[in-house]
Amino acid sequence: MIGFVLLALALVASALFVVTASKPVYSVVGLLANFIALAITYLTLHAEFLAVIQIVVYSGAILILFVFVIALLSSGVKPFAAGPDRAPRILGPALVCAAVGAAVVVVAALLTPFAPEAIYGLTGQADVFGSVADFGNALFHHNLLPFEVTAFVLMVAIIGVVLLAGDDGPPPSRRPKRNREPIAKPGRERIAR
Amino acid sequence: MHPLLLLIWLGPLAGAVVLWAFGPQLRSLAGPIGSALVGVSFMAALSEWGSATLVDGSLEGVRQPLFAWLPQLAFGLQWDRISLVWTLIITGVGFLIHVYSIGYLAGDRAFARFFAYLNFFVFAMLTLVLSDNVVGLLVGWGLVGLASYLLIGYYIDRPSAVAASRKAFVINVVGDVGILYAVFVIVAKIGAIGYGDIFAKLTAFTPGELFIVCLALFVGAAAKSAQVPLHTWLPDAMEGPTPVSALIHAATMVTAGVYLIARFAPLWSASADARMLAGSIGALTAITGAILGCVQWDIKRILAYSTMSQIGYMIMAAGVGAYSAGILHFLTHACFKALLFLTAGIIIHNLGDEQDVRKMGGLRKQMPFAFAAMLVGVCAICGVPGFSGFFSKDDVLSATLAHGHPVMWFVGVVTAGLTAYYMGRMFLVTFFGAYRGNIDPSELGMRHPELAGTSQTAGRHPEEEEHAPAHAPAWLMSGPVAILMVPAVFIGWIAFGPNGGASAWTQFFAPVFPADVPVPGTPPDWVTSAIVLVLIVAGFGVAFLRYGNPRALLDAVPRLRIEAVRTPAILANAFYFDTAIDALFVKPAQAVGRWFGSVVDPRVIDAGVREASISANWLGHLFRSFETGLVRAYALTIAFGVACFAIYYVVIGVGR
Amino acid sequence: MIAPVEAYVTLSAILFFIGIVGVIARRNPLIQLMSIELLFNSANLALITFARSWGNNAGHIFAFLVITVAAAEAAIGLAIVVIVFRKTAFVDVDEVSTLKG
Repeated sequence: MIGFVLLALALVASALFVVTASKPVYSVVGLLANFIALAITYLTLHAEFLAVIQIVVYSGAILILFVFVIALLSSGVKPFAAGPDRAPRILGPALVCAAVGAAVVVVAALLTPFAPEAIYGLTGQADVFGSVADFGNALFHHNLLPFEVTAFVLMVAIIGVVLLAGDDGPPPSRRPKRNREPIAKPGRERIAR
Repeated sequence: MHPLLLLIWLGPLAGAVVLWAFGPQLRSLAGPIGSALVGVSFMAALSEWGSATLVDGSLEGVRQPLFAWLPQLAFGLQWDRISLVWTLIITGVGFLIHVYSIGYLAGDRAFARFFAYLNFFVFAMLTLVLSDNVVGLLVGWGLVGLASYLLIGYYIDRPSAVAASRKAFVINVVGDVGILYAVFVIVAKIGAIGYGDIFAKLTAFTPGELFIVCLALFVGAAAKSAQVPLHTWLPDAMEGPTPVSALIHAATMVTAGVYLIARFAPLWSASADARMLAGSIGALTAITGAILGCVQWDIKRILAYSTMSQIGYMIMAAGVGAYSAGILHFLTHACFKALLFLTAGIIIHNLGDEQDVRKMGGLRKQMPFAFAAMLVGVCAICGVPGFSGFFSKDDVLSATLAHGHPVMWFVGVVTAGLTAYYMGRMFLVTFFGAYRGNIDPSELGMRHPELAGTSQTAGRHPEEEEHAPAHAPAWLMSGPVAILMVPAVFIGWIAFGPNGGASAWTQFFAPVFPADVPVPGTPPDWVTSAIVLVLIVAGFGVAFLRYGNPRALLDAVPRLRIEAVRTPAILANAFYFDTAIDALFVKPAQAVGRWFGSVVDPRVIDAGVREASISANWLGHLFRSFETGLVRAYALTIAFGVACFAIYYVVIGVGR
Repeated sequence: MIAPVEAYVTLSAILFFIGIVGVIARRNPLIQLMSIELLFNSANLALITFARSWGNNAGHIFAFLVITVAAAEAAIGLAIVVIVFRKTAFVDVDEVSTLKG
């Protein structure tokens, strides 16, 4: 239980930091902390494969993407000052909605009788819950179609990104233009055209 | 199947339509066309005399069914003695007046329109008298009112004419309310619209209901026939051209009330209260018209008030139950009143639209034919023995007495004397003495040309005034007048029968109306005639003393001026009827209209419409305020939606 | 599981609504996108919790697919941000309000 409390604190604190940091780079760091804490939480839930995927994909790829874009958008211009220097007017209603929603879900969760957890061992075998083999079995046997469709989705995303933010066309040519003036024939005056 | 009946009825309608549609192309052909159609109707009516006098068992006359919507809603034409008499007058006198109008209105800009309207009027009046059901009667009633409006207001660019036509129409509508109510009650009670059905089931009415129905019918008759208190439109109606005054407001339309009473005779005979009412109003109107006729200066107004008075006689007679006497007076009155009006028209026309008798005088030598015609007419209207008016007026008076109404009889007798006085006054002032046309109006007591009565000083449209008045053949106008002189004298003789015995007239109407049973103790008829004769002589005598004796003729100008100035206000304002109606009805109505225009219209109606647009605008602004363009605001709405969903699904649950 | 299911679900809810607040309250689109990643992660946490609770690894599969789609979405979102704000000095979502009214 103590572990969970510590993890929970870490998650909430880093999430709050992400939302309230003054610079985007700080938010990225906070998000990284959040993802790592989340991976550890997955481990407590016997979802080892997903914990690793979380680290590799989320904090390894997506966060780096964010960092690149931050770098792109801040190049050569004034540093970011686009965060709120004072609380925006919208913060009040947003907090209210959030608080209400959270409270409702929490209360409901507390009142819901959940089934007692199943008991599993902690070895990496195929019939063991949460292991890579188990996961791969499920993915490639029962969920093959969604797997292939996500591949398609990723391809579309790549194409979209390239189209949206890709090149501006071929670079301007640096070769000198061919002189197209005909060679002047002797004996004939060229009157200005 | 009586095709001639349809011809009689629809011929003038065809004329009206054709003249309306092709008036500008027909121009002066419109007159002969219109006259010919009415003349054809007259000939057809004459030839159908036999079928009108047919008595076939219980059915009197013939019927031409038109179409039957339901068995109870059957429309048709009825051709019996009452409608025969009225049709002959409408088409006969109408034909003569059509011919006269060709001469009178020659050169007028809207010549064809006039004849279209006249033909339309003849059609409307025929609808009224030829219908065999109350709905057709109503249709004719309304159309006749419309025709009167169109013809009074014929000179559309004269405000006084327009106002007069409007006044006539509005007062007619008041009467329409009465007759409509009566018809509705009758149809609701009896369930059928034909006269035969109605008269067969009279017992369905209680005496009280019957009186109410007769009262309502009488309201309509009073409005149409210019009885007190709904008479104020008739003097103003003289704004129309003289032929119109002759045809509509003397001979035919104003007698629609008399026709109504005659047609509904069974109802009237069944209700003594109704008879009392009708007779009293008729007598009152007769004497009121006579009194007011004594102080008028416009020749047409004198004749208008005399019309009102004579119709009072007719209503009085028909009202008390002496139907045939009332119809006889209608017959003779139509002839001599048309004669009088048309002669007045000749005078007016030849004097260049001068209507005030104070500016006439000495016309005996200038217009001998008019003099002779007017003399005949005056004798006829006064009831000089031998002329037609004598027979009819005395018939009316003695019948009134025979039905037991001595007070009405007395009023009628006094009126006869007054009639002689004011008609004599008109005759003498117009035709004797020196011609006063060149004398300054103020010397004659004419304060202002317009105030001296209806002035047709712009009788023709201004651009026509350059035309010489006598460019139409004179026989067009004098011919009809000459023709009318004959019945004005002789038509009364059909009622000549020794002491009220079986004259041709009473025999004619015997199958229709129950025989008059005199109240016992009534003096014989010759007593009435003698008293009336004495009063006629007295009336003429007074008129002669005031206007006709040589000294009066010499001093005509100052005498006329003094009389004009000293006319008592109550008479000059026609017993304040106009003022009272104005104050009681017209001014409040106008005030209500103005209030609506200044308060309701801008504040309620306009404001309502504006408010509708303003609230639509406001609603639009409200919705626009949601579109801030800010992504985060939209995100907030999504979050709000998520919170709502959370609450719904978690708390309320979906099939937990 | 080192804590009862309710605890994990509560944690997931709190993270989710922190993410929502982040999306609404920040004007920098990059931080908004990071908040959206927070949302994804909180959903993943809930999925994996229930997968463990019911002993069914469909939740794992689902979470895996969520991660994949989140990656694609982050890529495209960042590309859009780059295009829209390429030429402006400050990156402010409130400036992109041409649909106002």
